[in-house]
Amino acid sequence: MKVFSSLFLALALTSPAHADEAKAETCLRTKVWDGYADGWAIRTMTSTTLEAGKTKSYLVTLYPGKEYFIQTCGAPGIAELDVLLYDTEGKVVQRGTSAGREPTLTLSSDKMASYYVVLHARAMAADTKSAGVALAVTYR
Amino acid sequence: MDLRTLTLAGLLALVSACTTEQPAPPAGDTPGDAPPAEGTEAAAPLGDLDPAELSKSSEKRYALVPSPVETQGALESAGIDTKLATLIPQRDMDFDDEDIDDIAVRTGVVIADMLLTVKTSSNEQLLTHLDHIKVGMKGLDGGSDIDRTLDDIIERVKGEAVSRAELLKELDEISGAIIPELEFNGNERVVPLIQAGSWLQGSNLVARATKAAGKPSAADGILKQPKVVDYFIEYVTKGEGKDKAPAAVTEKLESSLRTLKELAESPDSLDDGKLDTVIQVTEDVLALL
Repeated sequence: MKVFSSLFLALALTSPAHADEAKAETCLRTKVWDGYADGWAIRTMTSTTLEAGKTKSYLVTLYPGKEYFIQTCGAPGIAELDVLLYDTEGKVVQRGTSAGREPTLTLSSDKMASYYVVLHARAMAADTKSAGVALAVTYR
Repeated sequence: MDLRTLTLAGLLALVSACTTEQPAPPAGDTPGDAPPAEGTEAAAPLGDLDPAELSKSSEKRYALVPSPVETQGALESAGIDTKLATLIPQRDMDFDDEDIDDIAVRTGVVIADMLLTVKTSSNEQLLTHLDHIKVGMKGLDGGSDIDRTLDDIIERVKGEAVSRAELLKELDEISGAIIPELEFNGNERVVPLIQAGSWLQGSNLVARATKAAGKPSAADGILKQPKVVDYFIEYVTKGEGKDKAPAAVTEKLESSLRTLKELAESPDSLDDGKLDTVIQVTEDVLALL
């Protein structure tokens, strides 16, 4: 996977903020690739930079009968990262497991439905104003 | 910064992100349990949010559109075990067409075909798909990195140096993670149109499979996706497309998407007649490629 690593890093390392995102993405890619052994496949993986207390949301559509596993990784500058699932009315449907900077969500649905996955940089490490975070949506 | 420098920096980033046995990590450098007391004060957990603001600010290009392989799985979950790959027709697509919108939609169709057939196709078929995607990426200004990545895959397929299971993972990643990150020379329509091509092909195959199986309502949970259709319509009808004569493919794509949106928003289940409509409006676009 050397070529893929290089491509991802080339895409991600064009600024200090993006370099921080690369750290988060590197952490997450390992988990995503390991998941294939358990039947998980990737729908998407992406990264962004969050300032303290800020959020980033992603619209996601889930198929009925499938199981979804949403994984995250925060770069070392983030201390508490939350991941939440919202319905299209803005109501919290599910909160991710509390795991410092690597929370996850496991979802399944009996009908086709659209939701928002929201990342929230709830606390940063000392002297850190922003940090990279990565999100992957996998299914099986 | 050249690719070698980027790669070196990336390796340093990787070491920084993955090493957990350093004797004295700086504050916040321990995965999962960094002490917030030494950093910023933790904000309160989020509660309910304004749906209008959520809708406006949400990113749609990454997680919204299911992959063709995921669509195959959803079909099986709905009780239909037809392999979509067996329904893919031979299409004589025009790979010399230089219209960016057309190239994007066509490339999306080829990506869907490749993902659905990667485990069963011959090396020759797979290499043809990869070559067509490479041509598409070049026409779309995808950049030299994706070009090199595809070259690497092509060489490994030619040398039979990669298993099909491993290849599916890599191609999943190209489709779901790498292509959405590419800038395509600043043309923000390209990624949605590639995704639209893949989704349109998947919808056509699902409609045909569910109709043939005599279970039209099984397609409800797969094809009735108004948010997905809205996302495609948003990009088909904005940006550069407003300032130029619409390409035949884009024009047909818009009318097909509007029909699919009507079906998706209808409270009624899909029946044979509605599936015929899906097949027809998707085929109208695919036939132009």
